[in-house]
Amino acid sequence: MSSYLPLRPAAATLAALALITLTACAAPAAGPGGSSSGEPVEGGTLVYLEHQAHTTLYPPSAGFYPNGGIVNNVLDRLVWQDPETRELKPWIATDWEVNADATQYTFNLRDDVTFSDGTALDAAVVAKNFDLYGLGDPDRGLTVSEAINNYERSEVIDDDTVVFHFSAPSPGFLQATSTNNSGLLSAETLDFTLEQFAPGNSAEVIGSGPFTITEETIGSTLTLTARDDYDWAPPDRAHQGRAHLEAVKITVTPEDSVRVGALLSGQADYVRYVEAQDEAQVEAAGFTVYAPQTGGVTNHLSLRPRGEILSDIRVRQAIIAGVDRAEVVDTIYTEKYPLATSILARTAPGYVDTDEAFGYDPQRAATLLDEAGWAEGSDGIRQKNGRPLTLVVNEAAPQPRSFEALTLISQQLKKIGVDLKILKADAGSAAEAVRDVDQVQIYHSMVARADLDVIKSQFHSQNRNALLNLDYGDGSIGDPQLEDLLQAVASEADPQARLADSAEAQRYLADEAYVLPLFEEPQVYGASDRVHGVTFESVARPSFYEIWLDD
Amino acid sequence: MRYLARRTGQAVIVLLAAFTGAFLLLQALPGDAIMIRYENPELGLSPQQIAEVRERFGVDTPLPVQYVHTLLGFFAGDFGYSLQTGTPVRQLLGEALPHTLTLGGIALVVAVLLAGLIAFGSSLPRLRWLRDVLRSLPPLVVSIPTFWLGIMLVQVVSFQLGWVSVIAPGPVEGLILPVITLAVPLSAPLAQILVRSIDDVSAQPFVAVVRARGASPAWILGRNVAKNAILPTLTMAGLLLGDLIGGAVLTETVFGRPGIGRITEQAVGLQDIPVLLAVVVLAAASFVVVNLIVDLLYPVLDPRLAARTREGVPA
Repeated sequence: MSSYLPLRPAAATLAALALITLTACAAPAAGPGGSSSGEPVEGGTLVYLEHQAHTTLYPPSAGFYPNGGIVNNVLDRLVWQDPETRELKPWIATDWEVNADATQYTFNLRDDVTFSDGTALDAAVVAKNFDLYGLGDPDRGLTVSEAINNYERSEVIDDDTVVFHFSAPSPGFLQATSTNNSGLLSAETLDFTLEQFAPGNSAEVIGSGPFTITEETIGSTLTLTARDDYDWAPPDRAHQGRAHLEAVKITVTPEDSVRVGALLSGQADYVRYVEAQDEAQVEAAGFTVYAPQTGGVTNHLSLRPRGEILSDIRVRQAIIAGVDRAEVVDTIYTEKYPLATSILARTAPGYVDTDEAFGYDPQRAATLLDEAGWAEGSDGIRQKNGRPLTLVVNEAAPQPRSFEALTLISQQLKKIGVDLKILKADAGSAAEAVRDVDQVQIYHSMVARADLDVIKSQFHSQNRNALLNLDYGDGSIGDPQLEDLLQAVASEADPQARLADSAEAQRYLADEAYVLPLFEEPQVYGASDRVHGVTFESVARPSFYEIWLDD
Repeated sequence: MRYLARRTGQAVIVLLAAFTGAFLLLQALPGDAIMIRYENPELGLSPQQIAEVRERFGVDTPLPVQYVHTLLGFFAGDFGYSLQTGTPVRQLLGEALPHTLTLGGIALVVAVLLAGLIAFGSSLPRLRWLRDVLRSLPPLVVSIPTFWLGIMLVQVVSFQLGWVSVIAPGPVEGLILPVITLAVPLSAPLAQILVRSIDDVSAQPFVAVVRARGASPAWILGRNVAKNAILPTLTMAGLLLGDLIGGAVLTETVFGRPGIGRITEQAVGLQDIPVLLAVVVLAAASFVVVNLIVDLLYPVLDPRLAARTREGVPA
């Protein structure tokens, strides 16, 4: 049956063509773009279309956007991160204290919060939450949260005071408590196994958020219903009290053209994942395109230095100089995908500009390759000792238009004599290939998280290991200096020193020609003009709490 | 009775072979679902943590042990858990099956009706003027890709004309377009076979005899030709089940409908072996059952075959 799958891109193209011809003569009768003025209307059901079905509601695994869209609306967090300023502000925790070396965090909690099953959200249950997220439980298939480092134990002082202890400085923990990965669950839900967090059992997952999950068809629809007694939104949010909406109906609609068509025809109110090529059409029809930034590690190529060819810094520099990133962004994407100027996005905490390291200069690229001993072959591909300069990059299936972007980059590199092959494989083959530097020398990916730790998440040997600095075969580390720099970001207690560490790590990755940042990745949503009060959390997951609908 | 017992025995062997084949093939794929799920970006786990997870899921136990364990589970009706989401496979399939059965069943009936309409319409002497148009339909329709038809129907009928809703439709409303999408391409090969058989049967001597006795062409078509021409069509309908399953994958995805097709599409992409194994066995089982029914219907439609099966000769 897999033979049907390659048809889907073709289907999308055909459908897009169909749409263009059809909608040209049928602009919906939408007025001028939706404004947020006027009194919010209470009630109504929002029809929200997702691109993919959610996979689990276990918060540490909530990174996948379809999971995050649910978790963000159903679970509250200790701390609220202002998506604009990135400041950390009270939510379930009214205030907190961190000791000097960031090994001990004390939180004071609100005393009026309840879960949707009626139980109280008190210090004991908060402690139970973080014991699970910080330590995991392999017996139940529940993993440690990537956002929490060096967790040791919790200590309940009284009903509304809890202390967390760490075995080493954990400066990222406060921000971690604001993320989806730290969504607060009821005591009963915390006893679930991985299977109980799975689709099919979603309505049993209990949080204290503004919505509760009330109905589910596995892999297809999910209904969120507003809680009447919700009264503990972050004090800094514009809206307080219960959500304006009565309910949100989340429907999984994998086909891009159907999602966009449903929005334009008024069958849906709000959709996630509007592809770059569909943006213009959505805007032309009078709808709003939202493109909140994910603001972490940018969409980039990791040039893995432990591969035979790329171990030579001159080859890495040549590849960076041989790619015209501006052309990639202009051709494949829209202005909602800003050209990246560092491995971190401009909106990411700790960002420093390292743009000069990524300039387009094919002349220089050619010179570098000459110097490195790669001479032009008869077919235009450079060779050295009879071996062609052939490299493999993976198609990053979860990222927008990865294949199109890589195809253009491959054409650009061909001009300087580099043969870039694109690995377009099923998930299993891809997962295996990207762990082997002999199979994939250039790795296309990104990661979103609004904390300095994000850079460590992406490149550290014990996390995503994007550069394959850790060799999975023999357990060796290729560049210990990079490891130390990343470790410092995640374990330096002094905030100023931490910023300096992050800056140094960014510069190091640029100077060593380890990375080629492409663009700052947004999540792109489309909404009809009857949808008001659209907001997102700090890495672009939708919040339905402030949304209200015109009649 | 012996005929029935033998056919059932054959069915069990086919199912066992399908299970074993699928099990071996799926094991031979590169990578595994634990790797896809836990070693891929999303979680950023350390190699040590991944090792713990692998142990918990028992992915590294020897192949024969896994085979026996899985097979015994199937006999007990336990298909394991989806490696991607952790949902019990039995629950996954149990909730999806009614949706797919409804869609597929109605689509098959509609396809057979459509094929009959085209074939008999084009064979009725009074509709001779329509004959060429009707007969050129099946080859045309066969070449329409299911996904294209689905998307065009959604775009035109739902989004442009607004006749039916695709997002959150009523139970009947939600079936209209998917059924058309699935039935139309299915009806084409059926109509082709039926047209051929009608032509073949019409040329047989006994038809000439009936005609000589003064029967009207319509009477001949309805009474004599149809009954004989339906047999090969029925066989074809049984075989088309594979197309039906493949079509359901696309139709359910385009329309965002829950069902086995959707589950399969997702499981293939993520190499969710327990789900795929159960889907393969389910598909094989439905194939076996439908073809068994078709075989059992033969003697009912053709008394000559009934006589032979009573004598123990396989039909």
